[in-house]
Amino acid sequence: MLSGLFKRFTTKKNSRDAAKKRLQFSLIYDKLEVNDTTLTDLQQDIVDVISKYFEIDKESLELKVKRDDNVSALVFNTPILHVKRKKKA
Amino acid sequence: MEGKIIVVTSGKGGVGKTTATSCIGAALALEGNRVAIVDMDIGLRNLDVVMGLENRIVFNIVDVVQGRCKVEQAAIRDRRIENLFLIPASQSDNKDVLTTAGVERVAKQLRSQFDFIIMDSPAGIERGFENSVVSADDALVICTPDVSAVRDADRVIGLLYARSLTPKLIVNRIEPARVVRGEMLSHEDVLEVLSIDLVGLVPMDEKVLISSNTGTPLVLQKDSKAGTAFRQIARRLNGESDLPVEMPVYKTSMWHKISKTFGLKQ
Repeated sequence: MLSGLFKRFTTKKNSRDAAKKRLQFSLIYDKLEVNDTTLTDLQQDIVDVISKYFEIDKESLELKVKRDDNVSALVFNTPILHVKRKKKA
Repeated sequence: MEGKIIVVTSGKGGVGKTTATSCIGAALALEGNRVAIVDMDIGLRNLDVVMGLENRIVFNIVDVVQGRCKVEQAAIRDRRIENLFLIPASQSDNKDVLTTAGVERVAKQLRSQFDFIIMDSPAGIERGFENSVVSADDALVICTPDVSAVRDADRVIGLLYARSLTPKLIVNRIEPARVVRGEMLSHEDVLEVLSIDLVGLVPMDEKVLISSNTGTPLVLQKDSKAGTAFRQIARRLNGESDLPVEMPVYKTSMWHKISKTFGLKQ
């Protein structure tokens, strides 16, 4: 009873809630984890598509999975060197 | 009629997979089924000692899969519980010695000889896990209420779904007093995180260690809380699917009730 009184005044958050929250977050992130081959394949595909329209610097491009508290985003960064002129058919 | 193969998995080791397998197998046999328990943890066998059958091993599951003996020769009959058999793992081989094709072939034979075949999967998600789930009809996932066990359980559940199995969950080693004090995840917390069907809740029970010390079946001990919980689980697996899941309760003391009245505890 005294310990209950003590706990009430120290208002320490209980570890059970902390465990549940941490688990919920980590399980979401575990599922968002993409393996390296998937990322390289995706990067190649994106490069192929963009190369149809732009000349890009293939050396300095990057593809990343960005994680924030609320959202995850796929970020693709590439310098454009030239715009390709489309030949009329 | 064809028997049913149930695989017991967890991802993380040390959460009570072997205990659960032996208890559920024994309890299913007590319900009148012909049961084979198969230890798939090649190289790290344990079911034999837990079940008290370690002195009677002649052949093992690797011998069966590789055709060195018949199922009947490897299956050790438990003398205390009728219709309960153990096919032990091999202790000298390594996990890669079995192939999924070999396991599937033996699974077919097992189905024709037993009502239930309970496969104890090794910890981890490698080859040994693959071999254990390849011919399973049903899957049970065991986890304890701690962050690492729950996270690993989630991973395993994902892998089972990918094989078109819909696993059911057993939460093991629940300590109701600690749940009430806010020190332990409750089974509701675990279920919410994993979003999966529950098949049973097993309270922490000192008798588990004692019964494994002597190799006696826990389910034969009437005063064992865990043993009782496993018998209930077996009844649910045996077709009584509407048997309600009993919640482990925290017996409140006088002081607890008084302090609750004064709003000092929840």
